[in-house]
Amino acid sequence: MSNGERLHPAAILFNFIKVIKEALFAIILGFITFRDESFFYFILISSVLVILLIIYSVASWYRYTYRIEADELRVEYGIFIRKKRFISINRIQSIDLTAGVIHRIFNLVKVKIETAGSGMSSEASLTAVKLAEGERLRNELKKERTPLNDVEEQLVDEEPSYKISFKRLFLAGSTSGSIGIILALFAFVFSELEQFIPNRFYDNTVEWIIGLSLFFIIGLSIVVLILLWLFGIAGTMIKYGNFTITRNKDELFITRGLLEKKQLTIPLRRIQAVGIQESLIRQPLGYVTVFAEVAGGSMDKGEEFSTVLFPIMKADEVEDFLQELLPDYAKQPEELNPLPKRALKFYLLRATLPITLMFAAVLYFLPPFIWIPIVFFIGALFLGFLRFKDAGYDVEGKRLLLSYRTVSKMTMIIYHKRIQAFEKKQHKIQKAQELATMKLSIIAGLGGKHYTVKDMEERDVDLLSDWYSYRK
Amino acid sequence: MRQPPINTIAPDAIKAWKITAAIVVGVFWLLTIALAIISSIFEYSYWYAAIAAAISGVCTYLFVFLIPKLRFRRWRYEVFEQEIYIQHSIMIVSRTLVPMIRVQHVDTKQGPVLKKYQLASVTISTAATTHEIPALLEEDASELRDRISMLARVDEDDV
Repeated sequence: MSNGERLHPAAILFNFIKVIKEALFAIILGFITFRDESFFYFILISSVLVILLIIYSVASWYRYTYRIEADELRVEYGIFIRKKRFISINRIQSIDLTAGVIHRIFNLVKVKIETAGSGMSSEASLTAVKLAEGERLRNELKKERTPLNDVEEQLVDEEPSYKISFKRLFLAGSTSGSIGIILALFAFVFSELEQFIPNRFYDNTVEWIIGLSLFFIIGLSIVVLILLWLFGIAGTMIKYGNFTITRNKDELFITRGLLEKKQLTIPLRRIQAVGIQESLIRQPLGYVTVFAEVAGGSMDKGEEFSTVLFPIMKADEVEDFLQELLPDYAKQPEELNPLPKRALKFYLLRATLPITLMFAAVLYFLPPFIWIPIVFFIGALFLGFLRFKDAGYDVEGKRLLLSYRTVSKMTMIIYHKRIQAFEKKQHKIQKAQELATMKLSIIAGLGGKHYTVKDMEERDVDLLSDWYSYRK
Repeated sequence: MRQPPINTIAPDAIKAWKITAAIVVGVFWLLTIALAIISSIFEYSYWYAAIAAAISGVCTYLFVFLIPKLRFRRWRYEVFEQEIYIQHSIMIVSRTLVPMIRVQHVDTKQGPVLKKYQLASVTISTAATTHEIPALLEEDASELRDRISMLARVDEDDV
C-alpha cells in the first residue's frame, strides 16, 4: 500500500529531540523534585522513558512515508492510527526548505509545505530529507503551478534582490534592543542558580565581594554588560546572517541564518500591510527595520509576529527598496497630517500618569530616593512628546499610511481593502476638545492586529471613516 | 459628521445584564461573608471584612444598577447593504464600521439568562475581529443573522 519514500534516518533523531524538547520542563521539574530522595528511581524511570521514546521515534520514522502521485503530495503517518494527508499541488502556497545545525552536518533540509488554510503548524513538514531530494520535491511541487516557468527562467538574472552586508549586520546586532531581554534572562538564571550553589560557598563569595572595592564591582558589572551586548550582537548575527530577500514574479523569497538556514516564501497577495520600525536606539542613527504583516502561515515558522523584510537599512534607502520589491507600497508622502496641538496635553498626561503614582509612593516611603522617579518623569515626558510628534496619517487614493509610537516609531502602510474593521472612539473630555481615537484592524498571522492612533482631530477621523465606508 | 446608527437593542437587555451581573456580584458577596465568618472564628480584625463588604457594595451598585442602563442607552446598530455600523459605550463612545465583504461568518448565541427573556445575541466575525450585538429579540436576531449572511455573500474584491 504505502510504496512512498521514507525520510532520512536522521529524522529519528529529530523526532526524539522534539519530544524531549516538549517534555523538557517536566524533566527539569522531575530532576529538581527528586534530586535528593529516590534519585535512583528517577534515573530508572527516566531510562525506561528514554527507551520507550527511542522506540517511538524509530517507529514513527518507519511509518512516515510521502510520495507525489496524481498531482498530489501524499503523506501517510501514524503508528497505531494510520493517517493519510493528501495535499493537492494547486493548493500549495509555499514550500520552504530550512536547515538547522544538525541538518547541515548531514547535508539535509527540512521541507515545510503550507496551504492557505492556517493552523498552528505547517500543513505537512518533512523533518529531514537529503538536500537534493528537497530541491527535487520543491521543483516538482511547484512545476505544475506556474506554467509561465520559461518566462521566469529568463528573468532570473533581473530578479531584484537585497543582501545584508556584514557591516550592517554588525550594526543591527549592536543596536538591537535584545540587550535588555538578555539582561533579564541573565538575572533570572542567576537568581535560580542560587538554589544549587551550596550556602557556605555562597556566603564566602558574598563576603569576598563586599571585601572588594566598590570600583572593582562597577568595573565587573561594566564587563558583564559588554559581554551581554556582545551576546546580543552574536544573536542577531546568527539569526539574520546572510539575510537575502528576492522577489520573483508574485512571491518574496527570504533566506537567512548563519547556523540554521531558514527559507521563507511570502506570496505577495497575502501581505496585509508593510511597516517601518524606527527604534529609539536606531532612529538617531537614521536606521530602520522594514517588516510586513502576512496573513495565515504557521506559528512554527520561528518568526516573531511580523515578518522582517529587511533587518536594518538607512531610512532613505527604504524608498528604493520598496520600489523594487513592493512597488505598491513605495512612494512615501513627504509629510503626514499631524495631530492638533491640543492633543499634546493628553499625550503628556498618559505617559506621565503611572510615573506620577510612583512619584507619590516614593515620596511617601523612601524620600531619599526621590530623584529616581524625577528622572523617570522627565523621560516619560520626553517619550510622551515624541509620541505626539510622531503620530500622523496620510491618505493617498486607496492607500492609508499611519504613524504612531509606543516606544519605537511605527509607520504602517495599509490598503483600503486590507482593513477589516474601522473604529472611532471618543470619551467625554475628547468630545469636548473635538478629538477622537481611531482604531484599524487587519489580519496578521492567525489572528488580527490592531493599530490605534490616539487623540486625532475629530474631523479627520470622520473623514477617514467616510473614506473607509463602503456606503457612498 | 456621521449620524449614530438608528436601531436599539431589546429593552429587556437591561434585565438580562442585571441578572448576569448579579450572579457575578453574588460570588463577591459570598466571599465577603466567608471572610467575615473566618474573621470571627480566628479573631482577625474585622477591617478586612468591612473593606470587602464595601468593595462588594460598590461593585453591586456599578455593575447591577448603573452600567446596564448606561450600556443600553448607548447601544445602537444599523445594517446597511454594504456595511454594519455599531455604536456602544459606557465611558468611551465607540463606533465601528464592518464592511460586508469582510464578514466571514455570523452566529447567534443564547445563554440561559438571555433565553429567559427570549433574547439572543448576534456575533459578527471578520478574519481579524469579532463584533457582538448583544440581546436582540430572538426573531430579530435570527432575521439579522440571515440578512447579514446573505449580504456578506458579495463577490470578493472588485475594490
